[in-house]
Formats: sequence, C-alpha cells, structure tokens
Amino acid sequence: MSRHLFRLAPLVLLLLGIAAMLMARDLTLGEFRSPGPGLWPFLCATLLALTALVLLVVDDPEDYEPWTRGTVGIGLGLVSLAVFIVLFQEIGFLVPAVLMLLVWLRLFAREPWRWALPLAVIGAVVFHLVFVEALGVPFPDDIVLGG
Amino acid sequence: MGILDGLGEGFSVALDPINILYVFLGVLIGTVIGVLPGLGPTATIALLLPLTYEIEPATAVIMLAGIYYGSMYGGTITSVLLRLPGEAASVVTVFDGHQMAMQGRAGPALGIAAVGSFIGGTVSVIGLILLAPPLADLAVEFGPPEYVALTAFGILLVTYLGTKHPVKALCMAALGLLLATIGQDAITGTTRFTFDQVELFDGLDFVAVAMGLFGVGEILYNLEQTEKAEQIKTRIKNIWPSRRDFRDSSGAIGRGSVLGFVLGVLPGGGGVISSLASYALEKRRAKDPTRFGKGAIEGVAGPETANNASSTSAFVPLLTLGIPANVVLALIYGALLIQGITPGPQLIDQNPDIFWGVIASMFIGNLMLLALNVPLVGVFVQLLRVRAGILAAFALLITMAGVFSVNNDPFDMWVVLVFGVVGWLMKKTGFEPGPLVLAFVLGSILERAFRQSMLLSGGEFDIFITRPLSGTIFALMAAVVIYSTVRGIRRQRRGRPAALYADQLESAAPGQDTPGAESEGTSWTPESDHDDATREVGPGERDGGGSTRVDIDRP
Repeated sequence: MSRHLFRLAPLVLLLLGIAAMLMARDLTLGEFRSPGPGLWPFLCATLLALTALVLLVVDDPEDYEPWTRGTVGIGLGLVSLAVFIVLFQEIGFLVPAVLMLLVWLRLFAREPWRWALPLAVIGAVVFHLVFVEALGVPFPDDIVLGG
Repeated sequence: MGILDGLGEGFSVALDPINILYVFLGVLIGTVIGVLPGLGPTATIALLLPLTYEIEPATAVIMLAGIYYGSMYGGTITSVLLRLPGEAASVVTVFDGHQMAMQGRAGPALGIAAVGSFIGGTVSVIGLILLAPPLADLAVEFGPPEYVALTAFGILLVTYLGTKHPVKALCMAALGLLLATIGQDAITGTTRFTFDQVELFDGLDFVAVAMGLFGVGEILYNLEQTEKAEQIKTRIKNIWPSRRDFRDSSGAIGRGSVLGFVLGVLPGGGGVISSLASYALEKRRAKDPTRFGKGAIEGVAGPETANNASSTSAFVPLLTLGIPANVVLALIYGALLIQGITPGPQLIDQNPDIFWGVIASMFIGNLMLLALNVPLVGVFVQLLRVRAGILAAFALLITMAGVFSVNNDPFDMWVVLVFGVVGWLMKKTGFEPGPLVLAFVLGSILERAFRQSMLLSGGEFDIFITRPLSGTIFALMAAVVIYSTVRGIRRQRRGRPAALYADQLESAAPGQDTPGAESEGTSWTPESDHDDATREVGPGERDGGGSTRVDIDRP
C-alpha cells in the first residue's frame, strides 16, 4: 500500500464536511439570534471538516488495516446481500433467503453441501414462519407460495 | 411515588408472566452471545431492535437490559476457559481466570464470577433505586441550556474517555450530528440534505443506521479475521467456590460493586473501564501483588463484579436525564424512541411501569443468571463449536428481515447495507462507530435545545456559562478537553502509544513488577495514578487471539 494512501479516509471526510457546509449555507443560516434551518448543520459540518483536516495531518497509519484476500470475500458477500434485497422485492422472501444462506454458508463457513443445503432451506423456512406467521410482517408476495 | 410503592408497582410489572419470559430470553440470549466470539452485546441489541417494535415498551427494555447484563456473564466463560474474552469487558478476567483454569480451578473461577456479578448487579440496582428519583426531580428544572450542556458533555466524554483517538472519535461524532439533521427541520419544516428523496424526509431511521453500523459492520469485520476452531479441554468441576475462595474475594466483590456503580453512572464509562479499574485497584491493595496473573481469585471476582455493576448503573443517566451513557444505552434509548417514549426526567412519573418495571426485572434477571450459570456452564461452553461463518449468515438474514419489518420499507434494507459497509470500513480504518451512533441519537435533542437557548438569550452564548448548572458542566468539559490534550501531547513526546486503551491494559496486565519503571498514570481513574507494574502485553493477551478484538466501543 502506498505510504500516503491512508490519508484517503480523512480526505473523503474533509470533502464531505466542506460539501455539507456549502449545502447548509444554501439552506439559509439565519443568525444566532434567530437560527435558520442551515445554522446547526453548518456548525456540525464545520466541526467535521476541521477534525478531518487535523486527521489529514496527524493520523496514525498503523490504524489502517491492509486489504487482504478476505476483503474480496467480503465484497462478494456484500454483492450477495444487494442481490438479496433486489430479489426480495421481486419474488418474496423464501427463494432469495435460501440463496443468500447458501452463498454465505459455502463461502464463509465453508460448510459442505450436505450441511449447507438443509441448513439454508430450514433457516429460510423458520425465518419465514417467525416473521410472516408469528409476527405478521407483510413480506412482498412470494413466488413459492404462489402469492 | 415513594420507593416502596414504586418497587411494588415494578414487581407487579416484572412478575407478569410475559415479562418473566422476556427477561429470561434476554439473559439467556445475553449469556449466549457473551460466549460466542464475534457477536457482542452492541451488535446483538442492534440486530434485535426491530423485534422490540412488536412488544410493549416496558417488556422491550426489560429484554434488552437482560441481554446487556447477561452478556457480561457470558463473556467470562470464554475468558476463563479459552483466554478468549467473549466481549471486551471480560478482557482482564483472562489474566487470572485463565491461570486458575490451568491450575484446575476453572469451576471456582466461573462460580465466583457468577456470584460476584450477582452481588454487583444487585448492589447497583439498589443504588439505581436510591439515586434515580432525586436526580430526576433535579432534572425537571432543566432548561434548554442545561440540555445542551448535558448532551454535549455525554458526547464529549464518550469521544474522549472511551476511545483510542479523541480526534477521530470527535470527527465521527460530528458526522453523527450531521446525519441526524437529514430530513425535515422540526422548527421550520425545511427539508435538509434529502436530495429530493421522499424516503429521507423523515430522516434516516435510527434502527437501520444502528443495525448497519454495529450489526452488519461488525459481522463483516469479524468474518475477515482469521477463524480458528476452538477446543475445550478443561474439565469443569466444583463450580461452587470454597469458603476460603469466598473469604479471599469478599473484599474485591464489595469494592468492585461500588467502583462499578460509580463508573457506570458516568457518561463514557461502562463495563470495560470499570473492570480494568477494579483489577488495578485489587492489585494495588493486595498484600502480595505478585500473585496477580498467577491465578489470584480476587483478580476474577473484582472485575467481574464491577462490569456487572456498571452495566446496571449505566441506566441511571438514561432513565433520569434521558442521556445514554454509552452505546448500548444509546440503542436502548433508540428502542424507547421507536415506541414513542422519550426517556427523560418525566419518565418516572409518566411511565412508572417502565422505570420501576425495568428495575425490578433486574433483580429477577440477576437471580436467573445466577441460577442459569452455575449449573449450565458446561452447556454454554458447547456453543463455541458454532462457527462464526454460520452465525454470520443467519444473523445477516435476521437483520434484513428485521429492518424491513420496522417500516415495511425496502429502502431501510439499503440503508442497513450502506451503513454496514460504512461500519466495516470504519473498523478497518480505525474510526469507531460508537461516537457516531451516540451523536446521531442525541443530535436532534442537542439541536433543538441549542436553537431554543439561542432564541432565549437573543443569540448570546453567555447563557451557557452564566446559568449555574450548565456553567459547571461546561467548565468540566473544558477541563476534560485540556487535560486529555495535554496528556496526549506529553505522551507522544515520550514516544508512548497515543492509544489510551493500550496503555491501560498495559498497566493493568500482570507480570514481573519493574520497580521504578516509568509508568505514566492512566486517566480513567484517579486510583491508577501510581500503578507500579508496566509490561508489554503479549499479543495473545491483548486480543485473545481469536476473532474478538479489544474494542472500546463495546461497553
């Protein structure tokens, strides 16, 4: 990792703070006697920008953990969660839940198929029973249940 | 309402069969997640927040409180048997607890921890009963400037006391305050930072933010760490400590109860700091400090008592002032807000069932924990066979289904995912999510109080200083800032780690005493100013070697 790459995090925060300061100013600041809607966000954004500026200079590189091969796995896991959310809205809970559990049990727990598959199916069904039947949460229509 | 009337009402709430069931569930879940590495009380409470939507407010808090103090019990088990603290507050238990296990005394170590925790918890409940009502009476007189002072003080103490890098924590607190302003301005109705997204008009949902940062973020972070299968070889027998064990540790339990109670009440305090403080205190008081680190039972009894006492007394500021003292309490605060109840000085009068019910349930919960732990330690240990990967898969599915159930809105699922990524990145870059969430919760109170104060004073800032109470609090804040800044600079000059926490662990860690070794006092408790032992903590002791990190944002 490049020697200064770790400064990226404070830099992002600094830019975020400055952007928020500009947007807060457009919301009208008012004055301290009669604060406008933008005054408080402006103060918070200023604090954010100032602290980020300090960090840009003084932050300790040791705080930053290197990216590993595990990171790639986490990325895949996140993609699987995003796919789950999209599918969940389209075809209901059961199928996406089984798929997500399968991905995670295979990828991260490294369970063999003979364990992963039953665990995923049973898990999805149990959660369906808990949330839909017991708690009455209106999940989107489920293709398995022909909803 | 008098204390006795209150307790009477409290027990009538707590002894309701439903509430008994939930306090049992709470302490059981708490113990289980305390044992399981990789899922702390903060993550668990965050993950279970949506479920509290479905139950009565008093019941919800009863269960969440049970998880919190239950996890303090559970963390002990893995500390003693595996040198692997299940949660951060049990880190110091490793030093002597594991030594006791190696000497074949794992049973008494766990037994005395359970008994000490019970006593600490009970003493703390009594303190809560005595301290909370007068404090609430005082707080009724508070005006907006006092609320500005108190909330700012709470955020400041959490950023300064409980974290490795105050500036980083302050930066996160600022971000939390900023995120809290998203949505419609409560006073003028102007929409702020919504980017014309209808979903954002009501602001970001607290549950989704907390679940993302703590639940998903922590799961992802732990997954990335290397995972080891753990084998328990220790046989546990004779859980009940001997009469001599009780005699040896009675002083430590007594002191731990008081210390834990006091440190728990302070904002930014909580389990980790109080257990460290208790260990340091016991070691200094001991006639023969060299026994510490070699299986001294006081080194288990004191810290375990203190962390339980503090997890109970941390409820004092929440239930009386409406200020959460640490992150777990911030989550419970959020759970109450979801139910439409704003914790504060009026809580005792307006919702006596919640206030007294929760207190009474703590008595029952502590009793249940004692009953559960002594005979069932062997069963809990088996939980360690569950691998983190399996746990993560199911926890994530609960998260997703759970957050949807709060508003039946898929948008919240995306919020969880985004904040999950943010939380994971924060952990990787050394930014702590605790101050962010605390500031996010307190942000709207702080803003409203600030704007009201400004209107009251006509834009003059001296309103914060001239009023006696807020003036005192601001003076304290200034003292904290100056003190820790000066210390930080001095420490950096001497080339010592700037990390507050590493230093504390170092000075509390057992080992050969090095007389005359230069050891700078640690700031978290006045007693530790002349701690005499300094030693490098080996990596195994510092992080337990497993997927559990010493992590200050877990109280």
